[in-house]
Amino acid sequence: METAPNNPATLKGTVLNIQHFSTHDGPGMRTTVFLKGCSLRCKWCSNPESIHPKPELAYNPAKCIGKTECGFCIKECPENAIFTVDPDVKVRINWDLCTNCGKCVPVCPPQALYSFGQAMTVDEVLAEVEQDSSFYRDSGGGITLSGGECQLQADFAAALLEEAHRRGINTAIETAFNVPWENVEKVLKHVDVCLHDHKLTDPERHKKWTGVDNAHIRENWKRAYETFPNTKFIARTPVIPGVNDDEEHIRAVLAFIRPYKNVVDYELLPYHRFGESKYSFLGRIYEMDDFKPPTPESIARLQAIIDEAFGRSPRAQAPSNSTNP
Amino acid sequence: MNSPKRIAINLGGGYVPGLNAVLHGAVLAATELGWEILGLRDGYEGVLFPERYPDRGIVKLTPALMDSVAGASGCILGTAARTDPFHVRRVNAANAVEEIDRSDELIAWVKREKIDAVISIVDVPALSILWKLHRKGLPTVCIPKSAENQMAATQLSFGFNSALSFTVEMLDHARQAAASARKIGVVEVPGEHAGWLALQSAIAVCADAVLIPEVPYDLARVAARLNQKILDGQTHGLVVVSEGAIAAAGHILPAAAHPLKSSLSPGATGDAGSHVIIHAGHAAEIVAMNLQLLVKHETYPLVLGQVAKGGSITAVDRQLGIGYGAAAVRGIQQNQTGTMVSFQPPELKFVPLAEAINKFRTVPPDSVFMQVARSLGIALGD
Repeated sequence: METAPNNPATLKGTVLNIQHFSTHDGPGMRTTVFLKGCSLRCKWCSNPESIHPKPELAYNPAKCIGKTECGFCIKECPENAIFTVDPDVKVRINWDLCTNCGKCVPVCPPQALYSFGQAMTVDEVLAEVEQDSSFYRDSGGGITLSGGECQLQADFAAALLEEAHRRGINTAIETAFNVPWENVEKVLKHVDVCLHDHKLTDPERHKKWTGVDNAHIRENWKRAYETFPNTKFIARTPVIPGVNDDEEHIRAVLAFIRPYKNVVDYELLPYHRFGESKYSFLGRIYEMDDFKPPTPESIARLQAIIDEAFGRSPRAQAPSNSTNP
Repeated sequence: MNSPKRIAINLGGGYVPGLNAVLHGAVLAATELGWEILGLRDGYEGVLFPERYPDRGIVKLTPALMDSVAGASGCILGTAARTDPFHVRRVNAANAVEEIDRSDELIAWVKREKIDAVISIVDVPALSILWKLHRKGLPTVCIPKSAENQMAATQLSFGFNSALSFTVEMLDHARQAAASARKIGVVEVPGEHAGWLALQSAIAVCADAVLIPEVPYDLARVAARLNQKILDGQTHGLVVVSEGAIAAAGHILPAAAHPLKSSLSPGATGDAGSHVIIHAGHAAEIVAMNLQLLVKHETYPLVLGQVAKGGSITAVDRQLGIGYGAAAVRGIQQNQTGTMVSFQPPELKFVPLAEAINKFRTVPPDSVFMQVARSLGIALGD
């Protein structure tokens, strides 16, 4: 039975975005709920607005109409973090002074200033998710929790997925598994499909590119595969040229997952730069300026290794292009 | 009679040549007053991560120590390009990467160590962080440093003169290369918001054109000037470009090979804003590529970038640095904390930190340097 703290009408999580009609975040047509907060700092992250756990300010200067026409935000900011430099009339943000209090957001008529992340209850999220329920029936889709790292908000994620199950909705999560095992235990028992990253094999390289080594993550994979035999696991690798697009890594992942029958597939997510503009909206530096997406040939070469390991003929379809590599 | 004080000194933000000179001035002035002065390694990292340092991140600075490094480039305390005690990255007990606020810990350390004030040598981003620390209770007097001379509320930031001398020397080299190749060299120099370095170095080498952030450029005008010189027999050219130079409205140019960007400073506005540095070299690439379509000679881009911020200190900066260091100590002695030492020739004054926040010292249209450039026939692109 549901306990009071997990009441779907009151339990709140910090939700970044709800994306409808996703086709790469699990089986069928899906509604992807992005939760805020991540425990890794992958340099290639395409969702930088999902990293920090609390709501944060973003600024799109293309929409700013300038201090002569407007300028309300400058007066509203209690931190003196919004200013202009003559003769440019568009405001600028001193991100070092901004505390993400959000007071400038409602006074910005053109919505050049906006907030990433809002508190929502389980019921509120599902009310929006269920708008797509007719598509789930025909396509075999459902809800996918993504992030950030959705398992960081374990209580909220578990309650949301449990309630989705109760309402007959298929559930999936996208996770990197860098969370305490207690979180995994709470969440995974309500998950039908677990899409999870195998980013890098070498611990030192994993630390260099994501901020931590992968010892804890590897332990979680193993325990998750063994503890939840009825959950379908799909391993994935965001393929970053020069970082992890080597056959050695792909073969190491295959060697790790193939003994487990509930790991049903291994997908490649080619690196893309769709999230880059968001870095500047958040006042952050995109560190992957010199990186380019992998070539179709390199993806095909790696995919052939996977197909061979799974005993199938090479895939004709293009690799997955998830919103969350 | 003032009681002996215990003060500390550190560097915030990036490097400029000869920072030891500032330390030297502060150490001598403090010692004259009978004060103890400590150096904090790598911004505040010496305090926040003492385990990383054999000396626990704190160095006792003495006149003898400073004498031994007088005139040397670099800085014995080290610099940390981004020391922000409000967002310190760590891996927590749950193996999660997170950024935590350690500013309270820092303020507590200052009190516990009975440090009366901290002298910080800061650039534009570090000034904002220092301002926040000051508002939380850190007694401080800061010293402006900027290779681009873009710090507001002072006439001359420490490091500018050395960067200028080096840039002039490099521009001379670039001109010789251009003359040999019979091409037009387009040299990008630091200056995201302010064009002082480009303008003053261009004047010093009598460049053909200089493009600065304060004067949005029309390359057709630059090309017209260069083509006239070529018609008159000039075989090569030299164009100096600030990294923040932008095309005038209505003259937006096709992007060069790198259309993607990094937001670098508190002044950056984002993709569509006018003050965003794509990356070092972008401004030179755009100008060289588009100028080549309009002039009779080939063009090629060169980028000084961070190279201009290292190297030897000039005599002017050496005097200025020692003066700034000594003045900061005087500021503490006079209870002028919460201020920045400001060079307003012929005086060194103290201005509230708030006067320098969110501002850049840019080149005014009626600047004498603009007048000189125009009188020399240097095209400004307007």
